[in-house]
Amino acid sequence: MSSSCSKTMSCNTEGQVNSIAINRDSTLIVAAGRSVFKIFSVDEERFIERLNLRVGKNLNLSYSTLDIAWNHFEDNILASAATNGAVVIWDINRHQRNKQEFVFQEHKRTVNRVTFHEKEHNMLLSGSQDGSMKLFDIRKKEVGVEFCIGSTSVRDVQFCPCQLSYFTFASADESGNVLIWDMRRPDRVEKQFTAHNGPVFTIDWHPEDRTRLATAGRDKMIKVWDSAKCKLTHFIQTIASVSKIRWRPMREFYIASCSLLVDSSINVWDIRRPFIPFATFENHKDVTTSIVWKNDDPHILYSGSKDCFIYQHLFKDAKRPADLLVPAGLDISTQGIISHACTDKNEKTQTSSGRPFFKKNPGRSEKFLEATSYLMTFCHPEESLSMDWFVISAQRYLLTGRPLEDLLDHNANVAHELGRHQVAQTWEMLKTLYCTNLPSTVVTGHPNLHQQRTISVSSDKMDTTLVKEKSDKVGKGARHKSKADPEDKTLDVTSGGSDEEISDKEMNERNLSNIARGQINPPTDWDIYYGGGENSFLDFNSLADMENNKQPLTLPTEAFHPRHEIASQTRSLEHFQYVTESPASGNEGETSTGTGNTNPYASDKETSFPILTADPLALQFPEWNFKNIVIDMMKYHAREFDVQTSACMLIVLGNRIKSEIDHQVQENWLLSYIDLLGRFKLWSIANEVIKLSYPSPVSHLNQQSTTVHVTCNKCNRQLQRSGWSCDRCKSVINICSICHQPVKGLYVWCQGCSHGGHMDHIQDWLSLDPQCPAGCGHFCEYT
Amino acid sequence: MVSVINSIDTAHEDMIHDAQLDYYGTKLATCSSDRLIKVFDVKGGQQTLVANLAGHEGPVWQVAWAHPMFGNIIASCGYDRKVIIWKETNGTWDKLYVYSNHDSSVNSVAFAPHELGLVLACGSSDGSISIVFSTGDGSWDAKKINGAHSIGCNAVSWAPAVAPNALLDQSGKQQPVKKLVSGGCDNLVKIWREEDSQWVEDQKLEGHSDWVRDVSWAPSIGLPKSIIASCSQDCRVIIWTNDGTFNNWTSKVLHKFNDVVWHLSWSITGNILAVSGGDNKVSLWKENLEGQWVCISDVNKGQGQITDGQSAISS
Repeated sequence: MSSSCSKTMSCNTEGQVNSIAINRDSTLIVAAGRSVFKIFSVDEERFIERLNLRVGKNLNLSYSTLDIAWNHFEDNILASAATNGAVVIWDINRHQRNKQEFVFQEHKRTVNRVTFHEKEHNMLLSGSQDGSMKLFDIRKKEVGVEFCIGSTSVRDVQFCPCQLSYFTFASADESGNVLIWDMRRPDRVEKQFTAHNGPVFTIDWHPEDRTRLATAGRDKMIKVWDSAKCKLTHFIQTIASVSKIRWRPMREFYIASCSLLVDSSINVWDIRRPFIPFATFENHKDVTTSIVWKNDDPHILYSGSKDCFIYQHLFKDAKRPADLLVPAGLDISTQGIISHACTDKNEKTQTSSGRPFFKKNPGRSEKFLEATSYLMTFCHPEESLSMDWFVISAQRYLLTGRPLEDLLDHNANVAHELGRHQVAQTWEMLKTLYCTNLPSTVVTGHPNLHQQRTISVSSDKMDTTLVKEKSDKVGKGARHKSKADPEDKTLDVTSGGSDEEISDKEMNERNLSNIARGQINPPTDWDIYYGGGENSFLDFNSLADMENNKQPLTLPTEAFHPRHEIASQTRSLEHFQYVTESPASGNEGETSTGTGNTNPYASDKETSFPILTADPLALQFPEWNFKNIVIDMMKYHAREFDVQTSACMLIVLGNRIKSEIDHQVQENWLLSYIDLLGRFKLWSIANEVIKLSYPSPVSHLNQQSTTVHVTCNKCNRQLQRSGWSCDRCKSVINICSICHQPVKGLYVWCQGCSHGGHMDHIQDWLSLDPQCPAGCGHFCEYT
Repeated sequence: MVSVINSIDTAHEDMIHDAQLDYYGTKLATCSSDRLIKVFDVKGGQQTLVANLAGHEGPVWQVAWAHPMFGNIIASCGYDRKVIIWKETNGTWDKLYVYSNHDSSVNSVAFAPHELGLVLACGSSDGSISIVFSTGDGSWDAKKINGAHSIGCNAVSWAPAVAPNALLDQSGKQQPVKKLVSGGCDNLVKIWREEDSQWVEDQKLEGHSDWVRDVSWAPSIGLPKSIIASCSQDCRVIIWTNDGTFNNWTSKVLHKFNDVVWHLSWSITGNILAVSGGDNKVSLWKENLEGQWVCISDVNKGQGQITDGQSAISS
């Protein structure tokens, strides 16, 4: 094939090219424009200028060319269309310098197109701005037939390839119509249809399929018609007005196009895939004005451009936009769902070891048409992407409203139930550290509060052994014991006191409950007792609620789970429930071996006290600064992509830790957490976090861009300037029911009777009288 | 074992180039060569087409969702050299703004973190990156980084606004980070920052040996370091990390695949990276405790199978 020895090459014609044409055997190319008219020979390596037709003294407008055609039969004859309406016949074999053979001045206005008949080589057809087409006989030098379409301009005329239909040609005009003519019948149009919205700039007959006619125009559309039925079969939308289209020879579905504006590239489309060019030539720097395929060769395309260059393009050098585009889309949703779009739906043969095995590698054109994508969503079955844990944790974590120990315990439980044992461990460690060892108070941890508190620890001996036993188990050693002991002292006083208030009236029950709590409980709980002891030993905070005993029930480190685990877990942590339950557990407790132990405890509360206080003094250890460890733990979780844990711990620990961590870090954690909560639409939780956060950039978040609109309660007009005077009513509204002055700050309002006023006035009033100060007789209720 | 797989009939007539879920993961936008953008509701495992956005005059390469605080806004870019910003009002989508100041196909769009306002970065085949932003009064303005990548820019991604070592202003308040990363046909990954209202190159990361196809800055959820993932036609995915010290990026090849890698996507917390390659597979990668990237699953959607590849690959 000739293309094999050709190459992509170009040549500067030194003038903007409006049109190019090639001779019959594609050895010569003519480039013509307003200021250029040259013939080049097409060599293997380059274009060589052979002839400059724009010579002579009087270069009139007939030299300024819009379109040019090469005679299909006589290689020396060319025809050009000039801007002044002239159709010029050139004979390059003339011996004079001036090669103009003849000038037809038949058209009144610019001629847009000239074209020779393929077989009748003396026949030249022209289409002009004046709305007429003329069929010239260049031998007789006269107009044979004239075709008129009225007032609109003819933009293009093209003969149908004559092996398909000898006498047929088509014309396109500025009003968007395409007309099909028989050149023997100038009096009537064979077929007519409106092809485009706006001017049609170019038409082209398919070289092999007579019914297939392509049109294109200013509406940026290339349309392919069945010319027999005048039916649209394909269309391509381009990004700019189309100036020229040419079917690719010897190919059924390919058509090349170039644009009038914007886009200087030449696109070759497969009409079956109208969205993306099959190939693109981007060599020209300015818009391409003319494209011509080499005769009967689909691999070579010639083009001329306003950048003054003519090009020979080789198809194999074309850019393939389809190869560059991204054939896949991918995203992960907040819920961990992956969406993936790709071109490959289902490769049954695909195995993990290799790629699908094709019998035959599909060609580029077949591959080009495989342009469908499949979109799927799927979620990863493992937890790695699922964010359920995050949502559940966010919903269930308690950040405030309970004693620290409760919060930590609760959160540890939440983490446990979600199977996040490491996080649970961290919460428990925090409990260990903070609830046994409050850095803010001088006194640190203490063991078995419940024992001293209500049951009273029997003998110091008993107690210390117990403590030791536990500490061994816990592995914390004597440190805890020593720290624990001083706590005994203070807590004994406080909690004991508070206990008494409660227990006064229910002393009996309480004793039972104490027994139950203390260690006893049902036999099964005996095991738990150690657990409980251990836990309370580690965890007690100043409030030292007895429910702590119950917490260890859930610890997986227990030797075995108590039968009543669930019941005890679901138990509310309130004292009174304990009390009510205690008889039962007390009964069970009687059978346990532990009962023996507890009884003595209960009896000796007073005696144990002084002895216990002595102990810790002897074993005082220096205070342990564990804050850095806590901070490290929090940072670790943040680093492990679990900012939730860090942020929640930050909030729960609050003052205990906040001065120790860099403010920026804290802010980052909190903001990140709030942002994440927003993504899961957990806005109320996010708001709670904001409320509980102290760095001002965070805590002010929920005060930004919040506007409360107030309307006048008389005329319903929105109050613009202030909350107490209406512009329309020209009156002060909502005066205080007591002082009858406008309320400029907080207005306290009874929802029952709608009266109210200054907050302190109303407070004062209601402290004396429950009825409404306005005298309406309503017993005002304020919450 | 097998994950729930939902095949969505998009009715796109040509190849789909991007599929993006919105901030809450309830809406899915797809774009295709057929010049359309389709929006689906994906609530409760059901997908329903809610909108067809027609307006591009060529294939649409990418879509991006804005933060919901600005409303339901999509930006799209395409072969027609345009970036279109679409907004939904009362269920109908309309063009909010069309940016057409690129000289070639626009390949990538990304919305900046919401802290920076309604700001959009676009990377184009003309080699430039545009930063398009809403001035707040309904009009739009743009800044351009010319010659960002010779031959063309293929991908842009913004740094998270909240990041370690952020600059502090006079009052000690943290300034939102204003940085973005881009990848291009010059095989480079570049980081850009805004300085005195001009965008300047902050860092040039060399490591790929072919066109960089996608870059993705990991969300930094309380992390002390910045992470960027990039993928390329050289079949490799590279993870770039910065531990907070000035401009010191280290690279690590996550894996060399058998085919071109097209897209990357970080999970919401940034601990897992999804990689989509030319073999039409998605694989998920996670850094283990030793700092190595491990494939935690290969998803071959055809069979819906998960093959646990436990092969740890270090550079």
